[in-house]
Amino acid sequence: MKTLACGLLLLALHGPALAADEGIGHIQTLQGSVWIERGGQRLPVAPGTEVRRGDLIRTGMPGAVGIVLSDHSSVSLGSGSELAMETYDFDPREGRFALVMRMVRGSFAYLSGLIGKLSPESIRLKVPDATIAVRGTKLLVEIPE
Amino acid sequence: MNSAMRCLAAGLACVLLAACGGRSSVVLVPDPDGHVGSAEVSTAGGKQVLAKSGDMTKVAGGDAPPSAVSTAGADYLARTFGEALAIEPPPPEKFTLYFETGTTTLTAESARAVAAIVAASHRRRAIGIAVSGHTDTAGSIALNERLARERAEFVRQLLVGQGAEFRRMAVSSHGKGNPAVPTADGVAEPRNRRVEVILH
Repeated sequence: MKTLACGLLLLALHGPALAADEGIGHIQTLQGSVWIERGGQRLPVAPGTEVRRGDLIRTGMPGAVGIVLSDHSSVSLGSGSELAMETYDFDPREGRFALVMRMVRGSFAYLSGLIGKLSPESIRLKVPDATIAVRGTKLLVEIPE
Repeated sequence: MNSAMRCLAAGLACVLLAACGGRSSVVLVPDPDGHVGSAEVSTAGGKQVLAKSGDMTKVAGGDAPPSAVSTAGADYLARTFGEALAIEPPPPEKFTLYFETGTTTLTAESARAVAAIVAASHRRRAIGIAVSGHTDTAGSIALNERLARERAEFVRQLLVGQGAEFRRMAVSSHGKGNPAVPTADGVAEPRNRRVEVILH
């Protein structure tokens, strides 16, 4: 499992940006050192910066950030955290829902949104060695170094 | 960062994860409305269900089941999650606008509400505004869809025209997929024919 986690981490760091690159949310709040890794590049962020599928969101020491996704769910990260936006689909018109986030390390507060209301079984939070199925609404996750 | 450094960083992260056994903690807490949901934490070795406020389980490796559920202490929560909770996005503000049947004309009451939305966007220094059109389940889907989109677009123009504050605005149609009042198919329900404006 450790090997798998390492492999995925490497993929996240090395993998090309996923095909779809439309925005899935935005940076709402931030403090200190915060950046997005996308397609091997380190991008600066500000309130309103677009978050895309496949993004790796990271905070330094100190650093904290709050993200809002288009289904009005939110996730915030404390210092030294790393979050991969792996899968996301929010299309109530077509009935398509998916939200998979990988919490790699750090501290997180997650509040579910419309996907949690309309299709809770579509939400997966991955942490090292475990998967969290969320049936609403607010969770705190710590992954110590 | 070059490729070799990324490899090194990834390798280091793995060593750190392995060294500490990845003892992740998961805690269920009330949402801003006081509602407590539930969550299920699964490893290859088993699972635990969190169902009450403060329920916590720890994960100490893939082969072991998550720990028995305990109650997270206030000290632990404040110490560990103080930063993440302090930076949480403030709760959004939601407004619902209604229209005269079959048109993009706002009802008189909803027309007055637009000014309140603009004022709220300034008061909270809104970052994101989401405008979504919604239909009921009656009538032609294509026609309903077109109307929902036209109404949402009309509201976008009103908000921009009246000087709403935002950095990102998203306009979408949820069709009948996100009703205010769930109904069977083929039911005319005026409360579902609406445009929602959500300020973040």
